[in-house]
Amino acid sequence: MTESAEHPIEKRGLAYEIGAGTFDLARAGLELYSVFVRTLYYVFRGRREKGAVVRQMYEIGNKSVVFLTITMGFIGMIMVYQSGLQTKRILPDFSLIGATFLELLTRDLAASIGALMLATRVGAGIAAEIGSMVVTEQVDALRMSAADPIDYLIKPRFIASIVMTTALIIWSGFVAFCVGGAIGYFAFDIPPRTFFSTQLVDHGDVITGLVKCVAYGGAIPIVSGYCGLSTYGGSEGVGWATTRAVVNSSLTIIILNFFISGTAYIVFPK
Amino acid sequence: MAATAPERAAFSPTERLLGLAGVVGGGVLGVAEVAGGMGVLLGRIVARLFPPRIDYPELRRNLYKMSVKSVPIVIITALFTGAIMVIQAAPIVKRLGAEGLVGWAAGFTTLREIAPLLTALMISGRVGANNTAELGTMVVTEQLDALRVLAIDPISFLVLPRFIGIVVTLFMMTLYADALALFGATYCAQALLNVAPMAFYHGLTGGLMGFGDVANGLIKSIIFGVVMALASCHFGLATKGGAPGVGRAVNATVVASAAGIFVLDYFVSFLLG
Repeated sequence: MTESAEHPIEKRGLAYEIGAGTFDLARAGLELYSVFVRTLYYVFRGRREKGAVVRQMYEIGNKSVVFLTITMGFIGMIMVYQSGLQTKRILPDFSLIGATFLELLTRDLAASIGALMLATRVGAGIAAEIGSMVVTEQVDALRMSAADPIDYLIKPRFIASIVMTTALIIWSGFVAFCVGGAIGYFAFDIPPRTFFSTQLVDHGDVITGLVKCVAYGGAIPIVSGYCGLSTYGGSEGVGWATTRAVVNSSLTIIILNFFISGTAYIVFPK
Repeated sequence: MAATAPERAAFSPTERLLGLAGVVGGGVLGVAEVAGGMGVLLGRIVARLFPPRIDYPELRRNLYKMSVKSVPIVIITALFTGAIMVIQAAPIVKRLGAEGLVGWAAGFTTLREIAPLLTALMISGRVGANNTAELGTMVVTEQLDALRVLAIDPISFLVLPRFIGIVVTLFMMTLYADALALFGATYCAQALLNVAPMAFYHGLTGGLMGFGDVANGLIKSIIFGVVMALASCHFGLATKGGAPGVGRAVNATVVASAAGIFVLDYFVSFLLG
């Protein structure tokens, strides 16, 4: 971006656009990586502020419970209803729907959809808060007092988010399964005894699910904290930072999901 | 909207006295206020559609900004989503010994559910949130009042083009994501399960699925678009209080859009069968 200011190029060709885009992407990736490494460093070496992590846990966790319960409850209903319709078309045998649903929920859906929901709520919240602090020069004040904003702002959110994302996703998976069981009973007459079965869930599914929880929980505050810290320019800038936080955390979750699912498919063959 | 503000202010001391009941009641009133505001906004938008009073250059500008600029994230989301659907369907298909059905198994869920849902969530993050930020900034910097002073109707000049832009964007992007997700799924199935692309396509078109399944997803995308556009314009117009206010409005938009999308998804799935 700075280059175009130094050498004003009248006509920007396709190569310029692609090149500039690639450089921007690479730079953002490097900065994101640096934020991640510094956060990890401060988790072990940073100063400890009493109550900061607990406060963030309340912000991230407790305030998302209702939102996540509602959305995951509806996801449970939708998935069971759709898979019931799908099964009906090939063979009307509903005995495995509950077990398959629980397997899918443990391995992927609970963590991924729950984390996408958290990325919108928590990610937007973190970026809006840190972005407002950047715009009102509070972050510069922190730097002047020799407090690294990553240590002071991102680290507590990182720890809190990993813990609370895991807890919230286990809770919301439970909600989705129970609501799904109710829909299975009312829409397809699946007896609850058949539906609530854990026969298809093995240790590989549980490990994959938990790895996803931790990975997503760590990714959301890092990506949105980075977006918040790179805010510039007034209230419009805060809006932009929030938008970027939501989009980038969601994209990160989808890409992480692809790699974790692929690895799990190879490591834990069925 | 103006009438509800003093009422809520009067409510807050009582809320403190009532404890839990006050919190629950306050929450219900808050939801009712948002739903009412969105309903009134929808009414105003519909009133300006017959006969259409739209600012066409603004519509074109918004369509470019919302649709064309969202193509990269839709491409990435859709390709990865298609691949993930095959990875998730693979053990189930293998267990049944029906590798030929993987096209159907992954395609059914992708077309009916996952592609419209994930596209809506991504577009809500990019377009809906951005739109709120833009409208919110205009409200905070009193540009909307300036429009009113110039006797320009802010709804037909600003809100209607954005509303149409979001609905059209989501519909087109869902169509696009459907195709790309199936493309990603095809090659993931070839890599993971050794299912030839032709066999995958045959699973899709072999008679177990019809146009109804694609249409189901597309109808959903229109409904999601309407909810998202209403939420985004409503919270943008209701912004108060400087830069933090804009951040709060954006946050409220993405949360309300996501909740609205999931809740309506269930009812639409149920109604369409």
